[in-house]
Amino acid sequence: MDFTQVMLVFAVLAPGLVSAAFALAWLAGWVPEERVVSLVTGMTFPASVAALAVVVWRLLSAQTVTVAFGNWFSVRDYHFPMVLLADRLSVVLLGMTVVLVGLIGRFSATYLHREPGFFRFFLLLHLFAFGSLIAFAAGSFELLAGGWEIVGITSVLLIAFFQHRTPPVENALRVFAIYRACDIGLLVGVFAMHHWAGTASFASGLPHLEGSRATTVGLLLLLAAAGKAAQAPFSGWLPRAMEGPTPSSAIFYGAISIHAGAYLLLRAQPMLAQSGLASAMVVMVGLATAVYGTISGRASADAKTLLAFASLTQVGVVFIEIGFGLKWIAVIHILGHATVRTLQFLRSPSMLHDYHQMHAAIGRQEESSGNWIEDLLPARAQLWLYRWALDRGHLDTILDRFVIHSLMRLAKLFARLDRIGLPRTPERREQPVASFGAAARERVG
Amino acid sequence: MQGPIGVFVHHNTLHEFESLPFEQAVLDASAIFGAEPYMAEAAYRAELARGRIRMEDVEAVLAGEPDAPVFPGLTRRSLRKAMMTPGVREFDAATILWRAEQGDLANDFRGKALRSLFDTCLKRVAAPEVEPPAPRPADEIIHPWLIRLCSVFLDQGMTYWPLPNREKGFYESVRKLLAPGGCIFPLYLTGLDKELKRQTDLGFSASDAVLDYLDAHNAGEPEWSEVIEAELLALPGWAGLMRRLEKEPQLAPHIAVPCSLMDFLAVRLTMTRVASREGAGEAGSEESPLKTQERRRLSLAARIYDASRVVSLSADEVARLSGTEWEAFVSEIRACNGLERRRIFQLAYERWHEREILSGLASHRAYRGLHERSGRPAAQVFFCLDEREESMRRALEEVDPEVETFGAAGYFGLAVDYKGIDDAQGAAYCPVVIQPEHAVRERPKAEDRELHRRRRWRRRLMGMLKRSALTSSRTLLRGWVSTAALGVLSGVPLIGHLLAPRRYAQLREWMNKAFLPEPRTELTLMRRTTESHSAVKGLLTGFAAGEKAERVASVLKPAGLARGFARVVVILGHGSTSLNNPHESAHDCGACGGRRGGPNARLFAAMANRAEVRELLRERGVDIPEDTWFVGGYHDTCGDDVELYDLEDVPATHESDVKRIEASLEEARAHNAKERARRFESSPAHASPAMALRHVEERSEHLAEPRPEYGHCTNAVCIVGRRSLTRGLFLDRRAFLTSYDASQDPDDRNLAAVLAAAIPVCAGINLEYYFSFVDNDRYGSGTKLPHNVTGLVGVMDGHASDLRTGLPWQMVEIHEPVRMLFVIETAPERLMHVLDASASLKRLAENRWIRVAAIDPDSGLVHVWRDSGFEEFGQALERLPVVFSSAEWYEGKLEHLPMAWIQAGGGVR
Repeated sequence: MDFTQVMLVFAVLAPGLVSAAFALAWLAGWVPEERVVSLVTGMTFPASVAALAVVVWRLLSAQTVTVAFGNWFSVRDYHFPMVLLADRLSVVLLGMTVVLVGLIGRFSATYLHREPGFFRFFLLLHLFAFGSLIAFAAGSFELLAGGWEIVGITSVLLIAFFQHRTPPVENALRVFAIYRACDIGLLVGVFAMHHWAGTASFASGLPHLEGSRATTVGLLLLLAAAGKAAQAPFSGWLPRAMEGPTPSSAIFYGAISIHAGAYLLLRAQPMLAQSGLASAMVVMVGLATAVYGTISGRASADAKTLLAFASLTQVGVVFIEIGFGLKWIAVIHILGHATVRTLQFLRSPSMLHDYHQMHAAIGRQEESSGNWIEDLLPARAQLWLYRWALDRGHLDTILDRFVIHSLMRLAKLFARLDRIGLPRTPERREQPVASFGAAARERVG
Repeated sequence: MQGPIGVFVHHNTLHEFESLPFEQAVLDASAIFGAEPYMAEAAYRAELARGRIRMEDVEAVLAGEPDAPVFPGLTRRSLRKAMMTPGVREFDAATILWRAEQGDLANDFRGKALRSLFDTCLKRVAAPEVEPPAPRPADEIIHPWLIRLCSVFLDQGMTYWPLPNREKGFYESVRKLLAPGGCIFPLYLTGLDKELKRQTDLGFSASDAVLDYLDAHNAGEPEWSEVIEAELLALPGWAGLMRRLEKEPQLAPHIAVPCSLMDFLAVRLTMTRVASREGAGEAGSEESPLKTQERRRLSLAARIYDASRVVSLSADEVARLSGTEWEAFVSEIRACNGLERRRIFQLAYERWHEREILSGLASHRAYRGLHERSGRPAAQVFFCLDEREESMRRALEEVDPEVETFGAAGYFGLAVDYKGIDDAQGAAYCPVVIQPEHAVRERPKAEDRELHRRRRWRRRLMGMLKRSALTSSRTLLRGWVSTAALGVLSGVPLIGHLLAPRRYAQLREWMNKAFLPEPRTELTLMRRTTESHSAVKGLLTGFAAGEKAERVASVLKPAGLARGFARVVVILGHGSTSLNNPHESAHDCGACGGRRGGPNARLFAAMANRAEVRELLRERGVDIPEDTWFVGGYHDTCGDDVELYDLEDVPATHESDVKRIEASLEEARAHNAKERARRFESSPAHASPAMALRHVEERSEHLAEPRPEYGHCTNAVCIVGRRSLTRGLFLDRRAFLTSYDASQDPDDRNLAAVLAAAIPVCAGINLEYYFSFVDNDRYGSGTKLPHNVTGLVGVMDGHASDLRTGLPWQMVEIHEPVRMLFVIETAPERLMHVLDASASLKRLAENRWIRVAAIDPDSGLVHVWRDSGFEEFGQALERLPVVFSSAEWYEGKLEHLPMAWIQAGGGVR
């Protein structure tokens, strides 16, 4: 392994090692103090940035930097290759991840000071960084899926960060369910690639698929990407994900996690290009989301939801760009968008102040321009569109009424079927307890 | 009810309950809001363990309450004492089984005696505990829609597309929006459109809809208030804001929307009606298996068992109690429940504090005597009575012992509608209870008018650019440009803010100065006659000479400053600047209505400097000599910045005097920063004053700082009296200080005026902190971290919750919840007389929302207000510890500190 390769491995593994160390310490019953956690975080990410700089330097001349660890395991024809790959695409996302997570770490060390979940937050932040670095540096779709799942689970756990209140936990569960449902796309896609092309590695070129096979795999990957990027029709979860602390909203839904889906499609882009249908679907999904996001965002009155829909809109546009094969425009767009949105999320508590300032500077007379596109519609249609926007396209309602409700009924039916033939279990301790002494004695005896 | 958050005014959270005694009010409110009346019992026990609550205080509290025999050998007092300490445990139905089988009770049961005691109690307990009402299932269904409707209706400019028809009111606009159908509702709300359509067809008004619901509900008129109360309390934040804006529409920061609580209720009840018709109630009404009848009976038995245990009753003794004795025993135990024990702890907690403060003050008075002035002071400085200025005053006196300081309500008697050159509209700079009658405008001086024009033009340009950047990044097409093409540019502020907050702030300020030079300005405070009513609000422009003299005298005379003026008198207003903080305004000056008091101070100085005003003041007995100059100024309590205004107008003869006080203030602010920084865990310990100053400056500019300052946190005392009573006394930033000199107030009129301003403001602040601390989840707004600014009127948790009112945890976390102790330097009879004359002040004192004491200006004797009247505070006085400087006393300590005598600031004795 040469120096560049070591640096690549270091950059990817560093946050993973930190989170592993944190987790072990925690299991051993030691919760590191805030100072230790901040110090470690403050060292990890600058080191990763420096390591990545070496990789970038190499990539100015070379096409790729790959590190192969051999196979994790192999069963007859099937191999699980452990390959890290940095090329000009992934290095952009890797760099973006370490820089932004590093900045968020810095922010959070102050922001979460004295919060009971301080340590838990940083444990998850490092784990998340590790997951996304794995996903972006993976040389095969299997490894990518591993990182992808880590990103998913940390995202869910941070939405439920305030675990003593009900709404964060409920919303986290919902996000989790949608992630799981959509991740089927990635898993089945990987199986399909193996089945048809014998490999899901892209370290030396994408698996070669054509025709309906490319379409199938492309659509499966689109399903996974759309779930992770909250694209239509899965968009309903994004505002719900705003329950966590502000910096986690920023890093997940402003910067990294929200763009992971786009990265997946960028990776598979040559395959998508093989299939007109899959490309068209990507464009359609992106377009639908962009329109949906911008209209719903117009009728949102709170800072984080506004920003969530704004993110959706631009990620939708990124999907369109990918669908049209404008790969590099998409990458630049991701980079710019992540930066803007991170800052906006972090500054979201300032919105009160910002609006007040603007208001004072501009003066009252120029308050609202009134030239909304909506005004072009007839009055009845305007009301209809407003209802639609206010209920966020009814996406969640539809999901609740027509999917979740039916599933629950089905589950109840199964539960009833399951009990057929069993005696009714007696309710424990229905009868009055006469004496605890006696109960305890019985137990001991 | 809290108004829009942009102008945050502290008030008693339970203001509506002030007609009740405090202890009753907190219980009533806790029943209605489901909130805690006091700290948790465990918190009191921790205070007991570390000695902050003393046993002698608990005993004194119990001794002050009626005793009664329970059964032979046990009195109420001895039972209560045992239940307080060693203390009984709390039991509930959900955990009782586990605790009896594996928890602490199981541990008890290893001893045979205790086990049979429990069994005996269990045998005699018949009735189960009453279960609290089940949660309301309909709320979960209707809240997502209702919250979204409220947020777009009340929005002050965040939505790009405002709610159509909202000028017609909430009910009407919701009806117009939802009645036409064509909307997919959640399962249990299907039919909402039909119901609204029906109401439209019948031509209902909001009150018709409410009555219709009540009729359909078969509720008799007596039950109405109960039904409506329950509905309104399900979302108290939103409902409260609707009501507040209905009563005071001018509070809306940008856009006036026609709010009405009736409208809100009509929409809410219509939704509830549809939801319950659709069977939402079925969703989850099963009895929790954790809290069956039987378990509730067990937990009651455990309570009696635990009480019997602490008074050392044996199983036999319990078994032998007669029926009536047993009844009496059980009812005594139930009466001394957790709430009651916490009440007693709270009283003991406050009693210790009262003793500490009063004996400290009396001891200071007795052993150190009153501070006497020698010769003419170098300068006199008026601060706001705010407790955050206590340390600043002490620091200033330590830096320059020849300076005298005073405290007055920070609007300095000037109730004005003020508009600065950068403001869009005027705002009231005075306590919220006063309506300003005078308008004052800041305008550029004649020679800078051109500069001002240019500045305004550039500000507008910047504002429009900023707005377009903000909105465009959220839209589809323009958003593409601003994110894809220009997005990476955001990296500069992102990195600047996070890696070098202070330097970045300096850079921004420097750029601002370069691009937007500030013109020199003056205030329009002149008015010759009464003719110039402004056309807009019916406000008088400026003040006539007589009015000016009256205002100036209203501050100087009560403070006892009628003669003996220094060559320079500085008037310092205060406010607070912090970044990324929706609660920023809560740190501003309460006496200025939640705004920054700089303009009031500047205006006051300008008035007092006018010759014709001084002439009139002399007639009123305030003799300001020719050679005294007033300077207005502003103290930022977050970054500890001090700025003096209109220095170019200072006469040449006074330049050196002003320089001296400027230098002293400069040094004092660093000391003040150091004393503040001792409370922040994240500030470096043992920092020099200069380092501490940098630390607090960084705090005020840090994007990620949830506690830029601790604000009024730890406030506990308000001392109304001469500074000589407290000078040199370390009060730990916990005491509001108002200057008042009883010897110059023969008819107590000044006292009445001072108390009328100080008591409501200070008590409001104190009680808001009390309630936000004891139940931060319900009375306060919880942790700041998930807060989400909504409609520019408030914050929610996450994407859809009730509006969070009250103070966030980060603002109150080091608070000590004691009711404010007012110590007034006057004779008790005179104080009694003043309180008797004011119904509202009397009510606060009589109902124990505040604690009141008087310290005699001549003898130094202390009297405390008890239920019936003033009683002498008869405690032996110990000498206070003596240190040279404040820093010596607080250096390296995080916790609350007792009083001490600071030699450096004590001046000449």
